[in-house]
Amino acid sequence: MAEDSTVPSDLYQHVYSFLVENKFAKAAKEFLRQAKVKPQDQNEDSLMDIFNFWVKSPETKKRKAVTSGPAAVNGPSAKKAKKDADSSSSEDSSSEEEQAAPAKKAVQVKAPPPKKPAAVAAKESSSEDSSDSEDEAPAKTTAKKPAAVKAAVQPTAAARKKDTSSSSEESDSEEEPSKTPAKVVKPVTGTPKTVSTPVSAAQKKQDSSSEDSSSDSEDEPPAKSAVKAAVPVKTPPPAKPAAPAESSSDDSSSDEEDAPPPKKPKTGQFSAVPPPGTLTAQAPVKTPASVKTVTPKAAAKKDSSSSDSSDSSSEDEAKKPAVKAAPAKAAPAKKAPTKVAPAQKKDSSSSDSSSSEDEAAKPAVKVTPAKAASAKSTPAKVAQAKAAPAKVTPAAEESSSSSSEESEEEPKKPAAKVAPVKAAAKRAPAKKTPAKVTPAAKESSPSSSDSEEDEPPTPAKATPAKAAPAKATPAKATPAKAAPAKKDDSSSSDSESSEDEAPAKPAATSKPVSTPKPGTKPAESSSASDSSSDEDEGPQKKPVTTPVSKPAPAKPPAAKTTNKPAESSSSSSDSSSDEEPKKKPATTPVSKPTPAKPTPTVKTTNKQAESSSDSSSDEEDEPQKKAATTPASKPVATSAKTTPAAKPAESSSDSDSSSDEEAQKKTTTTPVPSKPATPAKPAAKAAESSSDSSDSEDETPAAKTAKPAAATATKSPAAASKPPVSASKPAAESSSSDSDGSSEDEKQAKTTVTPKAAPKPAVTPVNAKKAESSSSESSDSSDSETEAKKTPAKPVVANGKPVTKTPTSAAKTPAKKTAESSSSSDSSSDEEEPSKTPATKTPPATKTPPATKTPPATKTPPATKKQAAEAKAESSSSEESSEEEETPAATNGTQSAKKATPKNKKIATSTPQTFPRTKQKDSNAPFRRIREEDVEVDPRLKDNSFDAKMGANGDWGQKANNVLKFTKGKSFRHEKTKKKRGSYRGGAISTTVNSIKFDSD
Amino acid sequence: MRPGFSPRGGGGRGGFGGRGRGGGDRGGRGGFRGGRGGFGGGFKSPGGEGGFRGRGGGRGTPRGRGGGRGGGRGGFRGGAKVTVEPHRHEGVFICRGKEDALVTKNMVIGESVYGEKRINVEEGETKIEYRAWNPFRSKLAAAILGGIDQIHIKPGVKVMYLGAASGTTVSHVSDIVGPEGLVYAVEFSHRSGRDLLNVAKKRTNIIPIIEDARHPHKYRMLVGMVDVIFADVAQPDQTRIVALNAHNFLKNGGHFVISIKANCIDSTAAPEAVFASEVKKMSAENMKPQEQLTLEPYERDHAVVVGIYRPPPKGKK
Repeated sequence: MAEDSTVPSDLYQHVYSFLVENKFAKAAKEFLRQAKVKPQDQNEDSLMDIFNFWVKSPETKKRKAVTSGPAAVNGPSAKKAKKDADSSSSEDSSSEEEQAAPAKKAVQVKAPPPKKPAAVAAKESSSEDSSDSEDEAPAKTTAKKPAAVKAAVQPTAAARKKDTSSSSEESDSEEEPSKTPAKVVKPVTGTPKTVSTPVSAAQKKQDSSSEDSSSDSEDEPPAKSAVKAAVPVKTPPPAKPAAPAESSSDDSSSDEEDAPPPKKPKTGQFSAVPPPGTLTAQAPVKTPASVKTVTPKAAAKKDSSSSDSSDSSSEDEAKKPAVKAAPAKAAPAKKAPTKVAPAQKKDSSSSDSSSSEDEAAKPAVKVTPAKAASAKSTPAKVAQAKAAPAKVTPAAEESSSSSSEESEEEPKKPAAKVAPVKAAAKRAPAKKTPAKVTPAAKESSPSSSDSEEDEPPTPAKATPAKAAPAKATPAKATPAKAAPAKKDDSSSSDSESSEDEAPAKPAATSKPVSTPKPGTKPAESSSASDSSSDEDEGPQKKPVTTPVSKPAPAKPPAAKTTNKPAESSSSSSDSSSDEEPKKKPATTPVSKPTPAKPTPTVKTTNKQAESSSDSSSDEEDEPQKKAATTPASKPVATSAKTTPAAKPAESSSDSDSSSDEEAQKKTTTTPVPSKPATPAKPAAKAAESSSDSSDSEDETPAAKTAKPAAATATKSPAAASKPPVSASKPAAESSSSDSDGSSEDEKQAKTTVTPKAAPKPAVTPVNAKKAESSSSESSDSSDSETEAKKTPAKPVVANGKPVTKTPTSAAKTPAKKTAESSSSSDSSSDEEEPSKTPATKTPPATKTPPATKTPPATKTPPATKKQAAEAKAESSSSEESSEEEETPAATNGTQSAKKATPKNKKIATSTPQTFPRTKQKDSNAPFRRIREEDVEVDPRLKDNSFDAKMGANGDWGQKANNVLKFTKGKSFRHEKTKKKRGSYRGGAISTTVNSIKFDSD
Repeated sequence: MRPGFSPRGGGGRGGFGGRGRGGGDRGGRGGFRGGRGGFGGGFKSPGGEGGFRGRGGGRGTPRGRGGGRGGGRGGFRGGAKVTVEPHRHEGVFICRGKEDALVTKNMVIGESVYGEKRINVEEGETKIEYRAWNPFRSKLAAAILGGIDQIHIKPGVKVMYLGAASGTTVSHVSDIVGPEGLVYAVEFSHRSGRDLLNVAKKRTNIIPIIEDARHPHKYRMLVGMVDVIFADVAQPDQTRIVALNAHNFLKNGGHFVISIKANCIDSTAAPEAVFASEVKKMSAENMKPQEQLTLEPYERDHAVVVGIYRPPPKGKK
């Protein structure tokens, strides 16, 4: 609304025409309604043209150049990293764009919807875009409008949405190291907000846009331009009509490619744009709340939005968009969590978009979103999954504001947020929550981008990126597999995003994911199909396929390249690697097979599919965990190695989930594919993992400041302190999410529906806002819950050991890992016996690490706390299994409440875990105020009976005793009442002293 | 003859049905029934005597009957031969007769607080009335009958009574401390507090406080330093409650008498362990336990612990 007034309507026409051209009927309609634009002359420049022009413009290049260096390398420090990331992303995108400007346009436009990776990338890109947009905006002039828009948007846009968007941006910025912190932040925030406002639609759009943007981002300029374009668009939308706005934004985003100016808007638009189709549909629903309900797509959108938000948040953090952030935060807070989720969502969205593209034009199809989600899920899955959980948690927790704040704060806060998210998601992730969250989000985005990148990028992007690409392939493969999984993830992400943005959205998303339910199902199915297609392709090279389907190529570039790509790739790669190494052989195959049938299952019951996929993933995870886990956990705990390990773990989890999902969905089989993927992944994974770790690390580090110098391994350490959290969080998240997903899947598989339901309840708290998306939320929530519960459950199932991990949750990282591992282990254990070993191992590793990590993290404290809450679930679960550590307890306590509900719903076991540690402990041993074994009773006081008393014989009360000693309970009361009446005759009263004296001094 | 409690007394508040009848037992019976009928209501209802004879109010309303009673005196053991001798504990008496009974000197002549029997004794010119004190109704009476060494409640002391309930035991404590003493009766339940207020109306040495004993600061303005704290608060944290009040109002070297209901602390643990645990807690609060006594058979799984608060250094003595 505000935007309308503030933002020049010049772009409206472009946007509108763009929407119309791209058949975003609903979006166009909404946009038209909102903006009241007049049809554009045919002769006028199209949005694409503007975008292209912008991309080619020197400024864009500059940006790219500037950022690219850092970004490619890795995120330097947090802020720098962000900026760099942005710049890098922008650069990347620009480069890509330049190279494939045409392609981009096509891609972007199409890509958004089609390419899931793109979506992911988009998210990143969007974030980047936002940053870019900011940068560009300032430079170009668009800035003002965007700014205004942003401002307007922020206000207008639901705080939440904004927050989310901001958060997403922040995350992006973080990831990328925002070049222009301040600007970025605001823009970002603004964008995010706007995006968020549009909410689901926006989000979806964003996703799509993000995809686009991601592709753009890869391209850099394009993305930015897109973003800018989006900005204008957004502005209009600002009016909460989110849907319209979003749609418009979407359109604009598409247009954006051509027109960079409205970067922010574009972002928003982008996100919105892609969604348009979807959005339109969703848009109405969406609005924020509706979105969730709307559909999977919506969810996806939300995710995307969330991712955006995450990006924005990251930016915010970097810059301190304090103000905006603050406002946003409030909304964001929840979103914050979301943010993470957003990231995931983004990923998912990206994936969705890609998938949608692959399958069908995304725009319109809601399915696309769903698919996208699903597709995304694959790539994103890991990230998403993680993110989702994280988001969920946050959402659940509260913390939107906090999360948003955190995100703003960046490392710490993000971490905190993350934690919540993680907690929600799975506490495991939570550990690093803050950092992770962002990272996670970032990661996810990166991953998406990576996946995309992988295919194309491989070539270009930074080493990480490349690695990612390579990995990406694997990752993609994973994604492919994941596709289903991704869906789940996406759903989860959606839910997260929804949470971030608005409850509704999340719900929607989650719903799709979790139970795809009708709406979702289609989406899922589509996604499934996508995923399946991906998977199918994947077999040989899932990555490739996926990527292909997804816009992977584009994204890669966007991939934000370094970090994000790396992350995403890493996640994917991790998963793939994980799978490959360990699982592939054993688990993966299995799980995949199960899933196999990717699409089908998913469609049927996303959840199931997911669950199945999860299970598979779990299985995979387990193996990985076993193999990797320990390492991972250790890595986490420790430093360099850990990080990598953690990442791998995460990735593995992601991959697992994806694989699981895919497998499930596919059901058919695909074992082969998956396996193939795995193989490929291995290498890729290694690379990816490294890249991931680096990415994650980079991100985190960047945020924190640490540099990735070390590259992957090193970074992790760096991250360790802060990053650790983030890194771990990411990992945790991913893992957690994955694990959650898996656990959920498993659970679902077991109870299928129940889990979902349970999740929902759980979600409710978290998702409450989302309301709608019970399904999506439920999925998310379920995921998160599941995770949480799972953790607990796992512990239960697997052993006490898992629990131990939970404790880690306290230390989010550890927790995450543990959670992941635990989850995986659980799932594995559930599914497979082997898991136990791993599980046990993991737990230990995790535990230690967790504690260490968390503490070290320090920033973590907050994070920890938040995470704690998140972790709580995990921890609680873990606690249940084994009462791990005290710290966790605290966390548990917090979370426990939340978790408790969820858990309870889901599983009784979980409940116990959820509850305060005491309860957990108590669970085994009933509550007792007095432990007889601990009390020393004076021998003289050993018997409290009358007969043991001195002078009992002949006492006035002896007669009464003769009657009363045989009575008990009611009869005693009855007899005593008789005596009260005064009819009692006791005989003589003695005045002797019969008491027992304590040492008289 | 029998100072004991007449059944009617049992009825408690209910009133005596049997008054007219006279004799304890017989009357008792009759009264009983009546009492019972009345009981229902009478029991808890303070006011009530339940429809009992229209007589006046519940417990509080003491039977105007007293007079009747008086007549009853005969009834009461019919004029019997009852001798009242002081108990080891100052202010407490034992009515010796066919059946012994624990009694306290009634501060408010002619009034029965809860339907308990009264015994009038004429010593020379003066008439003294005693009220029967049923150990099944009062834990303090049970402790006395059980043979506790010290209750530290004697004429002229100031007592804080936590968990005063309807004031049955409080009325006897009021009798013991006499006009020179004071009883701060703390009760949190308004329903019980209503009865307590009625009791306090007739007994000027009772200061009723309807507050949560967990928050002594809420009634700190009403209470001065006390010599003894008697606690019958069946709460899991009763030791803490007593400690809080002791810290606020109990003089150094003052004493506390705590009735512990094991089931209220932890119904799963052995009563002996619970008591030991509570005793240990007291020791941590500057409350030095001195003696412990079971309340069997009058109460189930109860114990009374008597101790001293901040005992003066031994050396001094």
